[in-house]
Amino acid sequence: MTSLSFTGIRKTFGTTVALESLDLALQPGELVSLLGPSGCGKTTALRIAAGFEIPDTGVVSLGENVITDTPAHRRNMGMVFQSYSLFPNLTVAQNVEFGLRNRKVEKVKRNSRVGEMLELVQLSDLGKRYPHQLSGGQQQRVALARALAVQPEVLLLDEPLSALDAKVRATLRDEIRRIQTELKTTTLFVTHDQDEALAISDRIGVMSNGRLEQLGTPEDVYLRPASPFVARFVGSINELPNVNGSGQILVRPEDVTISVDENELTMRGTVTRVTFQGPVTIISVRVDVVDQLINVHAASGSVHTEVGDRVSVAVAPGRGIIEAA
Amino acid sequence: MKHSGTQRTIGRLLPTLVLIASAVFFAFPLLAMARFAFQNLQVIDLGWNNLFEKWSISSVTASFSDDFFAEALTLSLKLAVGTALFTLGLLIPTAVWVHLRLPKARVFVEFLTILPYVIPAIALVAGIVVVKPHARWFLNSDYSLIPFYVVLALPFTYRSIDTGLRAIDLKVLVEASRSLGSTWVATLLRVVIPNLRAAIISSTFLTVAVVLGEYTISDVLLKRTFPSFMAQYRQSDPRGGYALAILALLGTTLLFVAIGVLSKSRSARKQQPSRSQENEILV
Amino acid sequence: MAFTHTSPKKVEGVVATAAAPSFFSVLRRVSAWSGLIPFFLFLILFLFIPAVSVFSQALHDADGSFGFSAMREAISGQNLDAFIFSLKFSAGAASVGVVVGGFLAYAAATATRPRWLRNIVSSFSGVAANMGGLPLAFAFLSLLGRQGLGTKILNAFGWDLYAGDFKLGEVSGLITVYSYFNIPLMVLVTLPAIDGLKTSWREACANLGGSAWTYWRRVGLPILAPSLLGGFLLLFANSFSAYATARQLTDNSKIVPLRISFFLGGDISIGEDAVGYSLAAWMIILMGISMAAYWLLRRRAERWSHS
Repeated sequence: MTSLSFTGIRKTFGTTVALESLDLALQPGELVSLLGPSGCGKTTALRIAAGFEIPDTGVVSLGENVITDTPAHRRNMGMVFQSYSLFPNLTVAQNVEFGLRNRKVEKVKRNSRVGEMLELVQLSDLGKRYPHQLSGGQQQRVALARALAVQPEVLLLDEPLSALDAKVRATLRDEIRRIQTELKTTTLFVTHDQDEALAISDRIGVMSNGRLEQLGTPEDVYLRPASPFVARFVGSINELPNVNGSGQILVRPEDVTISVDENELTMRGTVTRVTFQGPVTIISVRVDVVDQLINVHAASGSVHTEVGDRVSVAVAPGRGIIEAA
Repeated sequence: MKHSGTQRTIGRLLPTLVLIASAVFFAFPLLAMARFAFQNLQVIDLGWNNLFEKWSISSVTASFSDDFFAEALTLSLKLAVGTALFTLGLLIPTAVWVHLRLPKARVFVEFLTILPYVIPAIALVAGIVVVKPHARWFLNSDYSLIPFYVVLALPFTYRSIDTGLRAIDLKVLVEASRSLGSTWVATLLRVVIPNLRAAIISSTFLTVAVVLGEYTISDVLLKRTFPSFMAQYRQSDPRGGYALAILALLGTTLLFVAIGVLSKSRSARKQQPSRSQENEILV
Repeated sequence: MAFTHTSPKKVEGVVATAAAPSFFSVLRRVSAWSGLIPFFLFLILFLFIPAVSVFSQALHDADGSFGFSAMREAISGQNLDAFIFSLKFSAGAASVGVVVGGFLAYAAATATRPRWLRNIVSSFSGVAANMGGLPLAFAFLSLLGRQGLGTKILNAFGWDLYAGDFKLGEVSGLITVYSYFNIPLMVLVTLPAIDGLKTSWREACANLGGSAWTYWRRVGLPILAPSLLGGFLLLFANSFSAYATARQLTDNSKIVPLRISFFLGGDISIGEDAVGYSLAAWMIILMGISMAAYWLLRRRAERWSHS
């Protein structure tokens, strides 16, 4: 269990700034996700950690050692790529033992370790198969086993689930988390899928345009977004005019209260649609003041409204984030 | 993959040397030929002082006035056009059919298209000589060369068209066109062919290059094509013969540069993996 | 012909008797293959008939009746010498082409600066590979012939090219000249294969502690091997059967295609005619074996590129 840290990391490609100045520290054994849209710099940060890119300035440290200039093949990290990273000319077992062979581990130990790893990812019978004979999900499991076989100090995952079917994605996602907590490996996980990040992370780093917008637990990032970007990117968001000042308030659908009463602190509107979704009912309201459509999530049965009803909506106290005009 | 600065430089050194050495190897023969053709000076007399003297293009302009020049050139050009049209007319429907109707046959058909390597030009023409007495009515015409030229170019042209078809989603396009009411012919003309433009252009140019350079068959069958004319002219006027060869080379080079430019501009518009596609077109 | 996928079983169920289903499926299969008839017909007329004719003339004895004596004579004595000579220099030319062409393809595929480099290399390869024999022969005659520019330059450096038994029509000369179209052909065949080497493999290897040498030894070269071997076979077949270039360079009758043309042209008695055709027949057989092996290797390589 080792820590991984980025200090003042800056990286440009030609005229594009991929990373402005990244400061990020991963505690030993924790899983941190870098979440953001494409181009936000999350993959660049990961590749700098792996050694495939060299930063313009800044320091990358593994535990107490500075590794900024260490070549990739000497960093003792495990990496799982998005797809097609298994060596097609080697069997599953040969793929998994690849790193062990490079470290001159002797045959008996290699074989037992390979067996261990395949069992860990639940693919014990497939040792002699070739990658092209496996499904996408199975290939990624092998990639994971291969990365972990050498007991890396840090595990790097570059959108490992993006190329998979939705069903496989969910199961594999939980598997990765299970294995990671079992082995207590410090892990950096890059994704653009917020559900993934929310589900498995100890902490999430939301990134945009080369900057870290917020670093916090999933609850922090969801309930207390630090910037309008985070509020919009994670979960769904409503935009309401800020009646207590200028600009607008960004508020989650479940943080909007709805009632038929009226007072001067609430906004009036008309219900345009009621969508029953099981535990939650989505009530769409057209707000008079700005002729905007907002969505309110109410526990089913708590509010009885129909299309056309006049209602009052307000932001629950302490909720929402103000965005300057 | 980046390493330290020095490692990077060394890693690029060997490939760079290879590139430079290759450039020299490929340029020198052409330069030597150009010098021989356009500088009216024997190699023995050549020295540093007269390096830039006596250059002229008279050697090639003289050949233009030869009786057979125009005849040979027009014949070769006609054969080139004919071969290109025949190739497209035969291969596009065939390739489309294979893709749509008979995917299992794809491997078999691809195998058939490399058979011209098994029966190379010299063997092919030997077989033609055998058949000649029985097919004199056909083989007497100069245009009888066309189908054989189609055979010679087959490996390249089929691969080019096949690659072009694989790059577009043929099945979906055809089904969409048919569902909107088009007939088969209309679909072929208005949907498939326009989307195969790059492949059609490159296989046409390839065909022209093959035809303008083909010597074996036309020599044995005693047809007066441009390459035959070149060989013959060289006997009487070596410098002129070489000059003609350079002319032919320039023409072919321009064609290939055009292919490169065209396939790049097409892939700039679509976001497709253009590189391997561009190269597969040529083999 | 309807293209929409109606389920054949439904159609057959409506009209079926016990024997009908097989009739319909056979009909479907036949009609599927019938679209290829023009193509097959074309190949039969202009490729197979000439090829078969070669064999029909080859399988003759000295008295003109059917027999294998011509075929046997075509691979004995001087004819055998010719085959061996052609085999040797073709293999040599192919080897040079594979090594240099492979390297060149790698250099072009991985070059990041300048960006037009790769396009130039592949465009030029397209021209050079299809250049045709005459310009190539002329170019080398003017460079390395006895009166050649290159010969003179080498003389100035003290190296007499023709001091030994170098001749453009002998092995070393032929290999040099043939490299001019073999190297580009190899580049054309190998560039897609090198493109198929995914960067993630290289990075995964480094990540697992492997150096560049490890990568090439255990991943890169094994994956490229079928393409490289296939390239060798293609170049070999190409070199062996080249006629036009050889014709302009030399009268060397130890080059099989030239030998064939000598047998078939000019005044020779009918019996020797068959030997000429037999030479061609043996050449077809040899090329057939090479290309079959090439084909199998190419299928193998494609399997990995689609994994």
